[in-house]
Parts: sequence; C-alpha cells; structure tokens
Amino acid sequence: MVLLRSVPPPTEGVRHEQGETTAVLDGKGLGTGTLYVAETRLSWFDGSGMGFSLEYPTISLHAISRDLSAYPQEHLYVMVNAKLNDEMQENAHDDEDEEDECEGITEIRFVPSDKAALESMFSAMCECQALHPDPDDEDSNGDFDGDEYDVEEAEHGQGDIPSFCTYEEGVSGLRAEGQATLQRLEGMLAQSVANTFHMAGVRTDETNGEFDDAVEVDAGSTVAGQFEDADIDH
Amino acid sequence: MCISVLQLFYSFFKSLVGKDVVVELKNDLSICGTLHSVDQYLNIKLTDISVTDPEKYPHMLSVKNCFIRGSVVRYVQLPADEVDTQLLQDAARKEALQQKQ
Repeated sequence: MVLLRSVPPPTEGVRHEQGETTAVLDGKGLGTGTLYVAETRLSWFDGSGMGFSLEYPTISLHAISRDLSAYPQEHLYVMVNAKLNDEMQENAHDDEDEEDECEGITEIRFVPSDKAALESMFSAMCECQALHPDPDDEDSNGDFDGDEYDVEEAEHGQGDIPSFCTYEEGVSGLRAEGQATLQRLEGMLAQSVANTFHMAGVRTDETNGEFDDAVEVDAGSTVAGQFEDADIDH
Repeated sequence: MCISVLQLFYSFFKSLVGKDVVVELKNDLSICGTLHSVDQYLNIKLTDISVTDPEKYPHMLSVKNCFIRGSVVRYVQLPADEVDTQLLQDAARKEALQQKQ
C-alpha cells in the first residue's frame, strides 16, 4: 500500500519535521503543509487533515534539486515507483498493453520555505530508507544443485569429469583415435620441450647434433617398453 | 541475495567510491554520477548527477545529491579500468564455496 489517506501524521520516530513545505505531486501543487520524515513512513499534511503518506520501500530515490533553471525553487525531489492519481490512491493497474514490469512513477517535490533545511530533510530520509531494506528475497543465485556447475566438485576432481588416464591402465585403454591423439599431443609437447631440453625416450623430429649418441626410440613403443612390468591388462 | 554475497558486493562498491558510474534503475531510468557512498543494502548515494537520457526521462533534473534505494537498481555501469574482474571472479567463487560448507 503506497498511500494511506486516513492515517494521521506520525508522532513517534520523527527524524525531521519541516513546516511551511509545499508539496507538488506530478506537477500539481497541493498547497503548503508540514513534511514528517518518520522512521515508519514519509508523511505530508496540510494542516486541515488532508495529506498523504509514503512507505519507504516504494521510494526509488530522493535527491536535493538546486538547479533553478530546471525548477524555479530548490526542493527535495522524491521518485515513487508507483502511479498515483489525484485521489491519492494507488492507481489500479488497468493497462493491459503494459509490457514492462514497472507500473509507472510519480514525482513529488517538497519545497520548504527554509532552503537551509534541505540537507537535513535529505539526510533524515536517507536514514529512514536504511531502516526499510527489502525482505530477504529467495536466494537470487538460485540453488546450484543438479545441472549447475559445481565448483567444489570440479576443483576436487570428484565430479562427473572423467578421471585421468594413467599409464597403469595403459594407453591400450584408449581407442585408436584416442591413442593417435595422445601421440600427437605428446609429440607436440616433445617439440616444445626439446627446444630447451632433450628428453630421453621421447621421439622428436629435431635431432640435435649434441646428442648424437642418444638412442632414438619410437614414442609409440616407448610406453610399453618403459612399463613392461606394469600391469596393463585389467 | 544471500548475506555474504551482499557483503562481497558491498566491499566491492566501497572500493569504487569517488568513481563515476551510471546506475540503471528497474524503471529504465539511467542516472550518471559520482559514487559518494554505499551501504550494506547497496543503497547508493551519488553526487553531481545527471540523467543520461533526458529526453526520454525529463522528470529527473540536474539534482546534486541523490540517494537511490538498493532494491530498485538493475545495473551499475562501472569504468572498465577500475574493475579487476579476475579478482571479483575469484572472490565470488570463494564466496560460493563458503556457502556450500
């Protein structure tokens, strides 16, 4: 509920009270009255009982406007995220063509005769806004169960990711395609490493004269040869 | 949003105080200004603000100090060179791990 027409101005928890304040709602002047910046709600009443109150969660933003070329008087600007009509009641949302979620906004200007009070009015509103945070929504991050990427599992290698192929299981566990890929990759690795080191047992295309006495072996047979004693067949 | 992720972004925004940002609200209004302060609910205070699309939104004038309720913020556009995305990513990941424990 945005406006509470029959609710009187608050008497408790009033952080700031500013008399001689004109209220302008969407460009329509409502006369001069008193602004109450209370912890429970923001209220304005004109002294004859007519007025309105705003709930803080409905106030999108508030600001001090000092630019006289934009508006002829310095004032406190308040943007309410609801559409309010002349009868001070929240407008029923009739528009069926409305695509957006937002229901429209209302701009209210509170113009105090004492411009020096604007800072206090602004600060009081800031304090009161902080007292009305939105209730804890459902976790907007969602529940990362099931199909979502599980950070913990991935980082501890306990997820659905395939375990590493070890030599004990043997490259014979790979299909021909896989073995070919493995050899190609090892070759690539050997290429780049051989530029700095010469790894025994790894076949490289580059023959370094410095290591002529090295035994050149076939990478394909190296694996089996090196781990002959390994239990390959499971 | 769970509390500690809120804390994470609270700290993150605190580090951006003094920088120019553009805050886009859920009602499509965009406000450009200097980040003055932020609180634990990610309510944002901007100074020297201007509306990035005044023709579309003539409502907002060139006000000075502005307080934006955290819950109406859709996006906060940040200067790219001020954000260490890797750091933020790592921190968020750590936070997510914390949540699981």
